[in-house]
Amino acid sequence: MDRRRFLTGALGAGAVTLGAPWLATAGAATEDDLAFANFGASTELLVRDFYAKAIDARLVGAQTTSALKHGRSAAGWHAKAQSDLLTSAGDVAPLPEDFDFEWPLRTFKTKAAMMAAGLAVLRALRGVYQTAAAMASEQSYRVLYASLAASVSQQIVALGGAAAAEPFPVALDIENASDAIERYLG
Amino acid sequence: MKVLAALGAVLAILTGSAHAQSHPLTIYAAASLTDVFRAFDPDQRYSFSGSNALETQIRNGAPADIFASAAPLNTQRLFRQNLVGKPVTFTSNRLALIVPKSNPAGIRSVYDLRRKPVKLVIAGAAVPVGGYTRTVLRKMGLSSVLSKVVSQETDVRAVTGKVALGQADAGFVYVTDARAVADRVTVIRIPAWAQPRVRYEIAVVSSSSKKAAAQAWIKTLLSARGQAALKEYGFLPVPGA
Repeated sequence: MDRRRFLTGALGAGAVTLGAPWLATAGAATEDDLAFANFGASTELLVRDFYAKAIDARLVGAQTTSALKHGRSAAGWHAKAQSDLLTSAGDVAPLPEDFDFEWPLRTFKTKAAMMAAGLAVLRALRGVYQTAAAMASEQSYRVLYASLAASVSQQIVALGGAAAAEPFPVALDIENASDAIERYLG
Repeated sequence: MKVLAALGAVLAILTGSAHAQSHPLTIYAAASLTDVFRAFDPDQRYSFSGSNALETQIRNGAPADIFASAAPLNTQRLFRQNLVGKPVTFTSNRLALIVPKSNPAGIRSVYDLRRKPVKLVIAGAAVPVGGYTRTVLRKMGLSSVLSKVVSQETDVRAVTGKVALGQADAGFVYVTDARAVADRVTVIRIPAWAQPRVRYEIAVVSSSSKKAAAQAWIKTLLSARGQAALKEYGFLPVPGA
C-alpha cells in the first residue's frame, strides 16, 4: 500500500473511532470550548461543501476522487461530533443553511485552484484544532481535537500530494483562522 | 386584453392606495424595519420599537393589525396564546459591530473588544438584537466583554444612534441599521460562523378589525415586490425559501 492509498483509507477515521466521551462532560464546557466547537462545526460544514463540489467537478483521477469522498465523509462526522457537543451543552449547533458558501469563481475550474482552496480552509481548521487540543478545558475535548487535527492533517497530505511540500503545521487562534476562511463562508 | 389587465392593475393599486390612506392599517414593527417599511408603503400607520415592547403592547390590547417581529420568539409567544394568527418568516438579517468614524478606541476586530478598554453599547437582553448580540459573543467566546457595556438600549435604533453620535466606542446592530448611518460609522464584520440565526416573522393580530386587508398587506410583503424592497435595504432572503 503506497502512502497516498494509506492516507485515503484512513481519512474517515479519527473522531469516529473514539466514541463520544466528550458528551458526558458537555455541561462543563467553558465558553472557549464552545467557541472551538462552533468554529470547528461551521468550518467542517464548509469543508464538506468543498468536497462535494470537488467531487462534482471531476478534475481528478479515481484515487484522488476516493480521497475526496473519504474527506467528505470525515467532514460530516467531524461536524456532527462538535454539533453534538454544542447541543449537549445547551447551545445551538450550526446548520448548512446558516451559510451561503461562496467559492471564488474559478475554484472548481482547475485542479490547482481547487486544491489550493481546499488546502487553505483545511490548514486554518487544523491550526485551530491544534490550539484546541492544547487549550480545551476537559481531557476528553483535548483528545477529540487531537484526533480531529490528525484527521485533517491526513486530508491535507492527501490533497497536497507530497508531504515534503507541506509547510510545518502551525497552531492558530480562532481569530486568525477565521480571517482565513471568512471569504468562503458568505 | 393585456391593456385592460394592466389598466385594471393600475386601478387596483390606485384604489388600494386611496383606501389605505383613508383606512390605514396599524402595523407594529421591529425598529430595524423602520426605513424599509416606510419606503415600501408610506400610507400605513406604523409603530416601531423593540419587538419585545411591541409584544407586550399587543398582549395588553394595543390596536394593532399586523405585528412584524425581529425574532420568532415574540410572534410565536403571541401565536400560542391566540393573540396573533400563524406567523410567517419574511426576511433575515445579520449582525455587525459598528464604531464611530473617528474610532477613538482603535477597534479593528470584534476581538479588540476583549483586548482594549472600550465603552460598549448593546440592546437589552429581552430585545431581539440584544439576544442576538449575546449569542454572537457566546459563540466567539467573548461574553467577558459584557463587563464593558456602559448602556443597554431598548431597541437597535438607540444603539445605532449612540455609536453614530460618538457616545460609545462600539455597538452591536443589524447590518441594515449600520447601512443607514454609513457616513458616520465604520462597520466591522462579524464572522459568518459566529452569526446568529436572525429571522423576522410577521402575523395578523387576532383582534384586528381589518384582517383581510392585513393579510393582503403581508402577501404583498412576501411577493417579489416586497422582497425586492427588503433586499434594497440590505435585508437577506429567508434561507431555504
